[in-house]
Amino acid sequence: MQITSEYLERAIEQLSKLPGTGRKSAQRIAIHLLKQNDEYALKLANAIVDLKNKVTRCSVCGNVSDSDPCKICENQKRENGQVCVVEEFNDVYIIEKTNEFRGRYHVLGGVISPMDNIGPDQLRIKDLLTRVGGDEQITEVILALNPDAEGEATSYYINKLLLPYEVKVTRIAYGIPMGTELEFIDEATLSRAFTSRSAF
Amino acid sequence: MLVTKLELLHFRNHQKNEVEWAPHLNVITGPNGAGKTSLIDAIHYLCMSRSFVSTSDMYVIHQGESYFMLKGNFQGEIRSEFEVSCTFSRGDGKKIFVNDGPLDRLSDLIGMVPVVVLSPDDKKLTLEGPAERRSFLDSFISQISSVYLRDLLDYRKIRKQRNTLLQNYSNAPHMLEMYLEPWDNQLVETGSRIIAKRYEVLEKFKEYLAKDYAMISGMNLTTGLKYQTFCEPSINSKDIEERYRVALKENHEKELEREQTLIGPHRDEVVFYLGDFELRRFGSQGQHRLFALSLKLAQLHYYSDELDDLPIFMLDDVFGDLDFPKTEILLKALQHHEGQTFITAANPIPFENYVHFDGERNRFFKVEDSVIVESLNR
Ligand SMILES: [Zn+2]
Repeated sequence: MQITSEYLERAIEQLSKLPGTGRKSAQRIAIHLLKQNDEYALKLANAIVDLKNKVTRCSVCGNVSDSDPCKICENQKRENGQVCVVEEFNDVYIIEKTNEFRGRYHVLGGVISPMDNIGPDQLRIKDLLTRVGGDEQITEVILALNPDAEGEATSYYINKLLLPYEVKVTRIAYGIPMGTELEFIDEATLSRAFTSRSAF
Repeated sequence: MLVTKLELLHFRNHQKNEVEWAPHLNVITGPNGAGKTSLIDAIHYLCMSRSFVSTSDMYVIHQGESYFMLKGNFQGEIRSEFEVSCTFSRGDGKKIFVNDGPLDRLSDLIGMVPVVVLSPDDKKLTLEGPAERRSFLDSFISQISSVYLRDLLDYRKIRKQRNTLLQNYSNAPHMLEMYLEPWDNQLVETGSRIIAKRYEVLEKFKEYLAKDYAMISGMNLTTGLKYQTFCEPSINSKDIEERYRVALKENHEKELEREQTLIGPHRDEVVFYLGDFELRRFGSQGQHRLFALSLKLAQLHYYSDELDDLPIFMLDDVFGDLDFPKTEILLKALQHHEGQTFITAANPIPFENYVHFDGERNRFFKVEDSVIVESLNR
């Protein structure tokens, strides 16, 4: 094979590093980009550079933000009492979309996983304790981590650390996805939903 | 549950093939290496997301190709008709689709089409170490309980996480204790549920095993089995939890020393007996063979009673090892079994004498160089 454009080759190589993108998809994307006008290419390039340079982490909650503190932490209309603990910033987006929760967040930046060398010190757990012990007047910590082994271990660990504080610790219930018919739910999910059922 | 049609592309020794199956008995004969086993292995793959012959998906791809694809049409009592397809390629790995919808987890497939396989490999079940019996038990229960399968996968992960901690913090016991606690808690809960379920299933399975061994051996030597775990088992996982916590505490020092999880269902054993004797230590070759056969027949009959859909039953190359009276007994048992059955054999004679192949309810196939031909009116 003879390569006729080093630049094309370079673009394909970088694109193929994107998650879920093999070499074939990378080729398709590169050829698609090549066909676009200059303005689009510049906009895309700038968006990537800004993403890297201008997006920061909120020093209070750990969420991604263009300002520090972030808009949620700064918002006076939101309730101070409740803090919802999530694994990553995309979880904040998911919960925000529901418009149900009016408190504030705390983004851990992952979950405990010794195999991946992630212990409590690699996560923003100490910052959570500082917030709970500080002057935010937090009355309830809501744990909203994934119900897998790592999420469970992290919830357990945080709950234990919070015992000495005067704060209520709750967790979101394991439920059944809305709009799903019972017969399509796997037995294991259903069984968990039963064990965490609540009074009507 | 029935598989009505199978399509294969680049699967083992089949370049491209398509077969329509009979709802009751399907006998596939042909010389060794012709591709008989590959046909039923393909069905197995669509039920269990893996081959029962090869441990690596790479070896399953037809020589010189980069991927394989399988498609099966199934028909059951609850889900009336559905299609399962599977692709595997070196680059993209394995993907499974049910009615064109991709499955998020491969494990979601298990149990959709229950399957029981009898193969020459079964001799490992009684002859080799406890890992063989645990894996038989796990695959057995996973097909009838998705809760068990999820517990099993969770337990494996929890144990790995815990072992990593034991290795990394063996010289910092205070840190270790603090870090272990969240995992220990899950280890106990998940492990206890696994033990309770194994105990519950084995208690019922015993009866099936005794019956099927008596049938196939024609003798009144009674079979037995004993489930061995680190504490007294119970069908109530809450009872086990207490014993588990105590045992975990007692073994703490040893775990620190060995830097791994030492107690739990991953070290369980099932001991088989014939009369008063332990099969593994005193059984003759013939007794081992019949015992392994009975284990699978008992699995078939257990599933048949327990599940809404009858399992698919596969007998891969087992008739060559049986003498005439046993062949006769087994074939009679198969005639009685209402579900769909697949038999591969090098020698067609015993089937021609015992089964009426009408091309509808029972079909007879000949495979040579991976070409499939149906013979009628036998
Ligand atoms: Zn913030």
